[in-house]
Amino acid sequence: MDIQRIAVLIGKDARLGATNFMVLYVLVMPVVLSLLIALVFGDLLAQTPRLGIYDASASEQFTRPLLDHPSINTTIYDSEETLQSAVERGSEEIGLSLPAGFAASLEDDSAEVVFTAYRWGEAGVRNLLLLESAIARAMTAGIGSSIDQLPVTVNAEQIGSANTQTWSQRLLPLLLIMSIVLGGLFFPAASLLDEKKDRTLVALTSTPTSLLDVYLSKTLMGFILSGIMGSVILLINGAFVGQVALLLLVIALGGLMSSSFGIILGSVSKDMDTFMGIIKGAGILLYAPGILKIFPQVPEWIGRIFPTYYLMNPLLEVTQNGAGFADILIDIVVMAVLVAVLLVLLNSVIGRQQQKLALET
Amino acid sequence: MAQPAISVKDLTFSYGDILAVDDISFDVAEGEVIGFLGPNGAGKSTVVKMLTGQLTPQNGSATLLGMDIVKDRKQVQQEIGISFEFTNLYEQMSAVENLNLFAKLYKVSDFDAIDLLQKVGLGGRDKEHVANYSKGMKQRLMMARALVSDPKMLFLDEPTDGLDPVSTETIHTLIRAATQTGTTVFLTTHDMVEADKLSDRVAFLNQGKIVALDTPARLKQRFGMRALKVEVELPNGEIEVREVTLDEDQTPQTVFDLFKNERILTVHSEEATLEDIFFDITGRGLQG
Repeated sequence: MDIQRIAVLIGKDARLGATNFMVLYVLVMPVVLSLLIALVFGDLLAQTPRLGIYDASASEQFTRPLLDHPSINTTIYDSEETLQSAVERGSEEIGLSLPAGFAASLEDDSAEVVFTAYRWGEAGVRNLLLLESAIARAMTAGIGSSIDQLPVTVNAEQIGSANTQTWSQRLLPLLLIMSIVLGGLFFPAASLLDEKKDRTLVALTSTPTSLLDVYLSKTLMGFILSGIMGSVILLINGAFVGQVALLLLVIALGGLMSSSFGIILGSVSKDMDTFMGIIKGAGILLYAPGILKIFPQVPEWIGRIFPTYYLMNPLLEVTQNGAGFADILIDIVVMAVLVAVLLVLLNSVIGRQQQKLALET
Repeated sequence: MAQPAISVKDLTFSYGDILAVDDISFDVAEGEVIGFLGPNGAGKSTVVKMLTGQLTPQNGSATLLGMDIVKDRKQVQQEIGISFEFTNLYEQMSAVENLNLFAKLYKVSDFDAIDLLQKVGLGGRDKEHVANYSKGMKQRLMMARALVSDPKMLFLDEPTDGLDPVSTETIHTLIRAATQTGTTVFLTTHDMVEADKLSDRVAFLNQGKIVALDTPARLKQRFGMRALKVEVELPNGEIEVREVTLDEDQTPQTVFDLFKNERILTVHSEEATLEDIFFDITGRGLQG
């Protein structure tokens, strides 16, 4: 193994990779998807919080501030049923049903203020917080003093599914797998297949450069890309927070796993068509844990069957649940074992490729 | 006696049951051009692969510049340059980038790619993608790549196959220039004229064995037959071609009689080509 030659080969691969459409596509796609998802479901252009009100008591002093609020979208409904229906289908994130006498109870310091609040089950936390804050302020404005001094009873009812994860949270696992695994897997495989097709592999190994140097350079390049892509996706999704070192460790292991797998696939595939065939046919096995995460009702144990689960799960645990090293130790150990197995396989694949190269005419 | 640049002893290699190289031995002197000739499947490529460290011999041994081809593989590869029969350049990179890449892999310091490209006649298009090059230009670039490390030994596999006369001449000039600086050249080719023109000695390889190894002149002397081809006009006006074999006891008398008794129209000297000799020795042609 020669570090200097490996560095030269990485430089060459970076130069050629920058002009390879397939590599660029694989690198750009997760970023574009991530931005799209953030745009549609996430916080980049988050929709204005939506509030629906059925006001049976004509309590103008309470509803006016909400209707005039610049940051929320308030709609008045003429019946409780239509309000409930709007909340159920997600048109409103919170629906307030103000009973007859609500206005009077606001004005009477001693009377109990009673109303019903419907909450859409899939409403985002950010919007809920904004709406709750706006409602509290409107109530304070209505009574002329803090609502802390009033006895308030809220009959809260949740409508719709009880999922508390936003769509961007649910799609993040798939995006992480796509970026870390595809970035790490595609580059070494495509690059090696190009070298085999163009017979430049023979030219390289006829110099003092060994086949091991060539394979290591491509594996390292995949590893680097994988790390960059994983970090970028976490950053775009605002998830690169908390234990950054732990996140980098998981990304590094995931990158090593996918780039080793990629170079092995590139080595055993006859050509690019064969490789793409394998990816199309078996790619679902790579993405499966990410796809399953979109549907929270699917039991968690099914995801554990797939190797990429052990990359995805610790990242989610750290970013979404604030897990520490001890909490994700098992996942890290499983991933380290997978990496070790792949490296042993890689060693055997290099030996076979050396023989094939020598026997090629 | 000076140490040979290449010394091969009892080298053998089989692909399964097929014996590709059968116990061959030969030496090549420093600065010599040796032409390795033989039809497809004769074992030429296998010999080259073993000498350049791509294949490990199953039997026998060989040294290049005093280094063992198996034990000192990396050192051997540092001292040799190879130009392949097939094009294997990075076509999305420029000629300069291609050469600089290999200079770095050979760890050559103070390498001047532009200068080398000018020597092979590619000076004006050094920044262009190799994909836009003609076959002749690519072959010249491969030759330049083989020269990147200023090697003591060059292995050239069909260096002018399918090239136009200008590119062929450029390659020949480069080979001659390399030998003038003491570089040993191992040339495998189908082109007998090229082998005859460039090689100090030629080796005929047939079914894995060296069946003849000598200078082209001596091979022609030993195996070939020199002759005169004479066109004569017969009394009835028809033209007849007569062949007079030289180097025979009765040749002077035959020539004398011919000139005395016949009306001679043209006289041409003829000598055996390497291809004729190869056919005589092996009973098969070089293209077979």
